[in-house]
Amino acid sequence: MYEGPLQRLIDELSRLPGIGHKSAQRIAFHLLSIEDTDARRLGHSILDLRDQIGHCTRCFNVTANEECAICLDARRDESVVCVVERPQDIVVIERTNEYRGRYHVLGGSLSPIQGIGPDQLRIPELRRRVEEEQIREFIIATNPTMEGDATAMYLAREFKPLGIMVSRLASGLPVGGDLDYADELTLGRALVGRSEM
Amino acid sequence: MQLDWLTLAGFRSYAQLEWQPDPGVNVIVGRNGAGKTNLLEAVGYLGSLRSFRGAPDHALVGFDAENAYLRGQIASGAAQSLIELELRRRGGRQARVNTQRLARTADLLGHVRFVTFLPEDLDIVKRGPSHRRDFLDATAVQLWPASHLDQADFDRALRQRNAFLKQYDRDEVTLGVWDERLAQAGGKVMARRARTVDAISDQVASVHADIAGSEASVGFDYVSGWKGELDPTVSPSEFAQRLTDALGEARKRDRERRVTTVGPHRDEPMLMLDGHDSRYHASQGEQRTLTLSLRVASHRAIADLIDRSPILLLDDVYSELDPERAAALTRSLPEAQTLVTTADPRDVPLEGISWSIEGGTVEHR
Repeated sequence: MYEGPLQRLIDELSRLPGIGHKSAQRIAFHLLSIEDTDARRLGHSILDLRDQIGHCTRCFNVTANEECAICLDARRDESVVCVVERPQDIVVIERTNEYRGRYHVLGGSLSPIQGIGPDQLRIPELRRRVEEEQIREFIIATNPTMEGDATAMYLAREFKPLGIMVSRLASGLPVGGDLDYADELTLGRALVGRSEM
Repeated sequence: MQLDWLTLAGFRSYAQLEWQPDPGVNVIVGRNGAGKTNLLEAVGYLGSLRSFRGAPDHALVGFDAENAYLRGQIASGAAQSLIELELRRRGGRQARVNTQRLARTADLLGHVRFVTFLPEDLDIVKRGPSHRRDFLDATAVQLWPASHLDQADFDRALRQRNAFLKQYDRDEVTLGVWDERLAQAGGKVMARRARTVDAISDQVASVHADIAGSEASVGFDYVSGWKGELDPTVSPSEFAQRLTDALGEARKRDRERRVTTVGPHRDEPMLMLDGHDSRYHASQGEQRTLTLSLRVASHRAIADLIDRSPILLLDDVYSELDPERAAALTRSLPEAQTLVTTADPRDVPLEGISWSIEGGTVEHR
């Protein structure tokens, strides 16, 4: 045990994801050894994050404003919505530069074990968007897990009857890879999701 | 297929162990509690990613260790691979093959194939249907490693659907979604079971005749509430459709009981000896013979499929057998690298290298 503030910081750091007690201790001593201004800058950026960053009122992406930059961008196609689990997924899709529609962040996936049903996700908000906006199409980009697949299936069943075109990201072979390096599961999925030529 | 060497660190009773088993028969001698079974359990873990004793992962990490490390070199034909597995006490595991980290630990499956003979194998014949389901599912993983993922998907979908049913939620769409997820995974699990039985069935009668010394018809029967059946020609998607229909019909009952009452997890595989259910109609001796036959037949089925002989793990099996069955088992054992444990070497009628286990080390006797 260390004295007061040092031990408090170690305890706080070790509650962070991926940081064990030893790493927490190393980080704490590092912060003690660096320039005062550097340490304060870190402290302020944590406070700023908490004070300034919130969720976009439309799509629930992270933003420092009322609505996020993507929702405010008039050049983007408002008839297509890509549905993702987390805000981090938006960044990944944006990096491809292939998508010019908008997004909707669910905040997770269906998981009764954790008590997460449609109402715990931002599905009621998505339904409201369908009523208020001119949405024609969903591209569902939930994770290819049991829960992500179930969520995709749920969205298809709920929104197709409303006349929305619903598609799911294909999962398949890595580009530039050899077929013999693909594992059985990936190859199996690629077979099921094959496309006509 | 053979294990060239094995090292364990922080695994069960082994703080540090290095061992180079013989490619042939290895007789491992030690008193009770010396750690004989732990050694076999480690090899089995590398081949199935679970303990054949049913122990949870955290129980495999030694008392004084944070993580357990299992490393070994496997030779299969001309190919050699170095396989490494780390088990963390706090949960989670990480596998490497030839120093390459695997994205999914499950991809380790298939590198080590094995067949066990355990004292509790008698349960497969003697006790409830869950033992026979587990036998079929575990054998399926040795035959087709991807079965592991189907089974894991099924277990997860089942837990999710049951959790949903416990919540009194009337939402039909969500329940329908879990029905479909469960049915898709369940269809695959059923198709694997059917193909596993098909693969063993060719062998089991002749093995049984060898061990029992007399002809008898041996086979599986399968009772299922959803038209699951042991037909290897039925596709996983056809099974999935049948299960979807059955889940729809069972919906009212499932809602009342708040649990999934139909599916592969409730099916009852039966082992039939001369047309009778061996659980109730076979003698203890006949049941013992049947179990041994199942294991030998599994070994042959896997060897036929992969064109290599899986490693044999015999945990203190001979002490349970009368001399005639012991001799019959020895005659039927296939050519394979064999690890056999015993408290008394006089029980084991096998020629091989003897090892003694004491105080966490394995040495030549």
